[in-house]
Amino acid sequence: MKQALVDDTEDVSLDFGNEEELAFRKAKIRHPLATFFHLFFRVSAIVTYVCCDWFSRSFVGCFVTVLLLLSFDFWSVKNVTGRLLVGLRWWNHIDEDGKGRWIFEARKASPQHSVATEAEARIFWLGLVICPLIWTVFFFSTLFSLKLEWLALVIAGISLQAANLYGYILCKMGGERDIGKITASFLSQMVFQTVSY
Amino acid sequence: MAKAAESSGEPGTTSPRPLMRDLKAVGKKFMHVLYPRKSNTLLRDWDLWGPLILCVTLALMLQRSSVDSEKDGGPQFAEVFVIVWFGAVTITLNSKLLGGNISFFQSLCVLGYCILPLTVAMLVCRLVLLAEQGPINFMVRLFVVIVMFTWSIVASTAFLADSQPPNRKALAIYPVFLFYFVISWMILTFTPQ
Repeated sequence: MKQALVDDTEDVSLDFGNEEELAFRKAKIRHPLATFFHLFFRVSAIVTYVCCDWFSRSFVGCFVTVLLLLSFDFWSVKNVTGRLLVGLRWWNHIDEDGKGRWIFEARKASPQHSVATEAEARIFWLGLVICPLIWTVFFFSTLFSLKLEWLALVIAGISLQAANLYGYILCKMGGERDIGKITASFLSQMVFQTVSY
Repeated sequence: MAKAAESSGEPGTTSPRPLMRDLKAVGKKFMHVLYPRKSNTLLRDWDLWGPLILCVTLALMLQRSSVDSEKDGGPQFAEVFVIVWFGAVTITLNSKLLGGNISFFQSLCVLGYCILPLTVAMLVCRLVLLAEQGPINFMVRLFVVIVMFTWSIVASTAFLADSQPPNRKALAIYPVFLFYFVISWMILTFTPQ
């Protein structure tokens, strides 16, 4: 009897100190700073690359600035925003005998709170996918306009952004190695979300 | 190679202050290059931030100041970049093809970090070039570059030699020699206009 009473009241939280946690759970964006920085460095790198002729005519200044932004972006997406926004992480682990292997992890969703809010996950993945595509466009435009000194920068940009994209896709795939299945389920999810609006 | 696991206690990359951890790791590796001992810190805990910083610093210092600000050393800057990274990748591929058991990124890490002595040489050369030009100036720079070049070779060999098959060590090391030689040449022949 007593057990049942306790069970009944377990769901009702009368602890007013938990209001913060409740607000946290209900918020659309739980980590506003991480979300901002996830997009800030990538978008600034692209904007600086495109608009560098307006700011200064120095090739070196623009090159170094864009490279710095790309590096900050790589570091923050790999170490901070992936973990905070979608609960994924990946790294390289070297064993005792010197063999290296890559580890990809996904945080298990606990019953208390889901790993990622929808808004955060959407921002994360959109930012992660769209920017490397833009850099690929830059690659072709640089190649065909024969501004070859910029090619080094564009290739650096593509490598850094594609590395994060690849790492997080492998995290998301988890044990599933069949990329066809993953794409199909992702696309169907997108369609469902679009239709339900 | 890629393993998806759900371990909770794995000391991977989630430490409370990842930035400090990474900065300290980079600093520790710089120390290991300056005082090369037989240790495998550079190999076990590789990262490519050090090589990137060194490459950018070296490329910035190899700038010629020119009158026309539109062409302010553009090609030279990207040149240094391409030489360093393409050279390091080529050496790594070479060592892997010879049967070395070192991973791609570990090798890049070692080669990149061992540019540190040459970057110091570049700094010294730039300072020496502020004084009056002449044969003594050149001899001083030559001496500094040779010393730092030897330091780089010794440091990188200390880290890389173990991973090469025993009868191929010379074949694997000579591209490293060539790589640092080209960088030393760029440093020695640098003159600001």
